[in-house]
Parts: sequence; structure tokens; C-alpha cells
Amino acid sequence: MSIPKKVKTNINISPRPPQPQYDSGYNGLTTPNRRRELSELITEDGTFLPKSVLHADMDRGMLDFVEKELDTTASGKRIPVIDRILTLQRWGEFSQTWSFSTEDKNVELPFIVVVRKPDVQYGTNPSLLYTIPDRKQFHFAKVPTWDGNRKGMDIYTIPQPIPVDIIYDVKIICNRMRELNRFNKIVMQKFSSRQAYTFVKGHYIPIILNSLGDESVIDTEERRYYQQNYQFQLQGFLIDEDEFEVKPAISRSILFFDAETNTKNAGKGSPSIVDQKEMNIYNKNKYRRKLDFTALETTKTITYSYKATITLVRSDNVASVVYTINGTTTQGKVEVNIGDVLLITIVKSAGGTAQMVLEELIYS
Amino acid sequence: MAEQKKIPITRISRFFGSQDFKLEQDMGMEWLHGDMHFTLVLFRVDKKKTDVDDVYGEAGPEEIRYKAPVEFNGYVNITSPQNKTYSSGLVNQMEPGNMTVSVYMKHLDELNIDVSYGDYIGYAETEDRMRYYVVTNDGRVVSDNAHTIGGYKPFFRTIICSYVSPNEFNGI
Repeated sequence: MSIPKKVKTNINISPRPPQPQYDSGYNGLTTPNRRRELSELITEDGTFLPKSVLHADMDRGMLDFVEKELDTTASGKRIPVIDRILTLQRWGEFSQTWSFSTEDKNVELPFIVVVRKPDVQYGTNPSLLYTIPDRKQFHFAKVPTWDGNRKGMDIYTIPQPIPVDIIYDVKIICNRMRELNRFNKIVMQKFSSRQAYTFVKGHYIPIILNSLGDESVIDTEERRYYQQNYQFQLQGFLIDEDEFEVKPAISRSILFFDAETNTKNAGKGSPSIVDQKEMNIYNKNKYRRKLDFTALETTKTITYSYKATITLVRSDNVASVVYTINGTTTQGKVEVNIGDVLLITIVKSAGGTAQMVLEELIYS
Repeated sequence: MAEQKKIPITRISRFFGSQDFKLEQDMGMEWLHGDMHFTLVLFRVDKKKTDVDDVYGEAGPEEIRYKAPVEFNGYVNITSPQNKTYSSGLVNQMEPGNMTVSVYMKHLDELNIDVSYGDYIGYAETEDRMRYYVVTNDGRVVSDNAHTIGGYKPFFRTIICSYVSPNEFNGI
């Protein structure tokens, strides 16, 4: 019986504490802790915006994945990985392989190499596939600003990332079946759920094992070696910081009012028709009249050419008002008819000028 | 043990006999060993003592056991190196071509050695550079006319070897 390699000496038996803001499950309103954590990873050590994720970043992510997650040891020695995506430049190969090359400058077996297919296709990741047209910008963050005088906010927006699929051939070249077996075991364990993840600038990017092929050279009169090709598809996305937008948000609101300064025309007719122009079109049967009392004035007289009910809306420096219609003092509701003369007498609260605003609800 | 039965060779005896054969062979060996003097080192794998994997019969570089190396002479022909790559144009490998060694059978008998499939042969390319090859065809079958003198009887073996990388064999 084999001895278990992984022995846990400390088991945490306390249950995971519930997240206080949704102890009975996610409520759809607050941000889950894990999502917040992922967001912090994306913006860590940088600005409030995510960092660009471009082709080279994903290539680096794939190399890191192969080096760390598919690390293989054979006969007590680590199988070296060529730590670059090899390109057309021939000298580049040697610059990456000199540490494990022979006297003839050939790469010493066994080794693992990552070869990228040069063509990068539009992605098949369903979460990003053709969902938002026209590079629409989306809110990413609000960032407080201070210009020395005013507090404000900047709105950071980014467009939807563009999905891309990149195909990598990870090849192991070796002399012994045992080395193949070991590498195969590691790959199969890692991809037992079809996909594994690499971590690129705070983003988890899925990698799928597409296929596995054998390209071994087993000729009778040539040097023999095993070569197997594991083809992986990295379902990445492009985030380009050149597409990000930062816009200032509203830092101060100013409310403008515009008031009609024309007085109402005398005579019968619509109260809102002044010099044949339609005024106050939203409240055609209401009219507000402002009365200014000089320091010496305490009375005003108005002759009405229409029926109306009069209400005091606002006053300044007025202690009390008495309304007299055609010489009769009126208590309570003030109603005037055509031809009535309204005398308004005020008692000022203090010396000086006074103002009143009357609202007239006009009947005809 | 019964003595091996021998059959007299009487082919072309009107023109060529065993004494002629011996003379030709001795002259050839004198030229090859004395004048040409291509020296090689044979590393014979000790198949009994080598520690191999139970399933695959593989052995690591340190696990193979060898008999004592033996120097021998032969006529060496190495083909041009081929420029190849491991992965469709990437990861270049430029290695020596195959080595063909023609060796007198009498010489092997005198040294009491045999060259077998899978043995390693070292060939000193320069004073400080020994290259190693693995026997891919030990030339044991010498029935063709080319390995005989006028069809009389075979007298040399043609051994074909391919280059081995240092991680497979790098001397002992």
C-alpha cells in the first residue's frame, strides 16, 4: 500500500463566516466579497482602471502556466522549458536555450517548448461573444478628485473586452517513455475538468486542452526520440488601455430660473394673451401679480376686467393685509368680478419698502 | 562440445583460392590499420548488469552498465550533417549525419569482440572532441556480393551508426 503524500495536519473545523451583507445568500444588490476581491486584483498596483491585456501578456501567461503548473521532473531533474515563445528570428532560439544546449548548440533532451500559432482568431468564450455592439463604453469606477477648490468625481469607463482564441502547441521532446508518462499524467490531472486557468494581470483566463498528438521520430537508422504535442486553446480577451475613457462627473449644479416680466394686458380675454402672444401656456388660468410698496405707500388699488379668486402667495415686510372690494372689506376668500375695484391696505412689519405677490385664479 | 563442422569453399577456385583471399585480406588490413589508422572505441552494453525498467526496459544514462571499452580500426565514412527542426521550423537541431564503419571480420575475431545493435561507438573527431554514435545496423548479415572478394567469401562488415545526444550517452 502506498503512503499518502498529502497529509493534512491541521483541519479548520470552524464554518466559514457568512458575509454580513447577505448572510442568507446573495441578494443581487450588494457586491459579493469574491467579486470585490477579483476587482481589487485587477486594479492592484496601478490606477483605478484595469491594466491592458494584450497578446504578449497572454503569451506570457501561457508560458508561466506551463512552467509552474506543468512542471515535470524526470530522474530527479526538472525537464527544462524554453522560456520564450519562439519566433522567426533564429538567433532568438539559441539565446533562450543556451543553458541546456549541447556543445553543438543543439537543445539537450529532454525539454519542453511552447509554440504559438501565429494567427489569433476571434474568441469563442461565450461570456464575451458578440454581446455588445459598437464598442460602447461602460462604467468601471468613480474616482474622487480635488482641484484645490472643489471636490468632484471622475467617471472611468471601458468598453467590453474583445474575446480572442490563441492556440499553443506544447511539445515535450525526450528519450524515454517514463518522461512522456510523467508529463502526460500532470497534464491529464490538470485538465481533468477540461480546462485550467492562467492568471494574467489579475484576470483568470481559461485554457482548454484541445488535442494530443504524437510526432515521435522512430526511424531505423536515424536518431530516435519521442515528441508529443499537446494543443491548448487559450480563451483570452483583449483589453486596450487606449480605449479607456475618463470623464469628469458633475461637481456643482446650478439651477437657472426664468421669469416673465411682462404685466398682464388689461381688457377682456385670455389672461395669457399679451400683445397677441401666448404667455404662460402651462397655467393659462393663473396669473401672479407682484405689488411693490414704496416706503411711503401702504395701499394699492387694482381695477379688474375679469373674474378671479385672489390668494396671497408671498409677502415681504407685511404684517397684515386688508382687502376692500368696491369699498366693502372682505373677510376670507377674495373674489372679484369684472369692473370691481380692489383696494389692498397693508400694515408693514417695519419701515421701508414692502412686496406682495398675489395669485389670481381667473374664470373669464 | 562437438567441433563445428567446416565446409571447404571451392568457388572460383580456378582463379582464386584461400591463400589469395588471405593475401588480399592481409594487404587490405595493413593498408587500413597501418596507413589509414581510423581508430574507434567500442562501448558494449552489458545487458545482464544494466538496471532496466521493468515495463519499458529503459535505463537512464547512469543506469547503463558497459563492458570494458575496446579500441578497434575500421574505415569511417560520416555523412553530412542535416539541418532539421523539432517543431515545423522552430527549435533547430544540427547534428552529425550517420557514420558508416567498415571493419574486417578477422580484426573483430582477433580482438574477440562483436559489435551489436545498440552498442555505442566513440570516434575522436579532434584531439579534444569525442563524438558518440549508436549502432543502428550491426552489419551482421554479409551475404551480398559486395562484402566478398569476387564472390569468394565475406571478409568485412558494414556497421551503420547514428549520432546520440549527450543525455543518452556521453562516454564512461
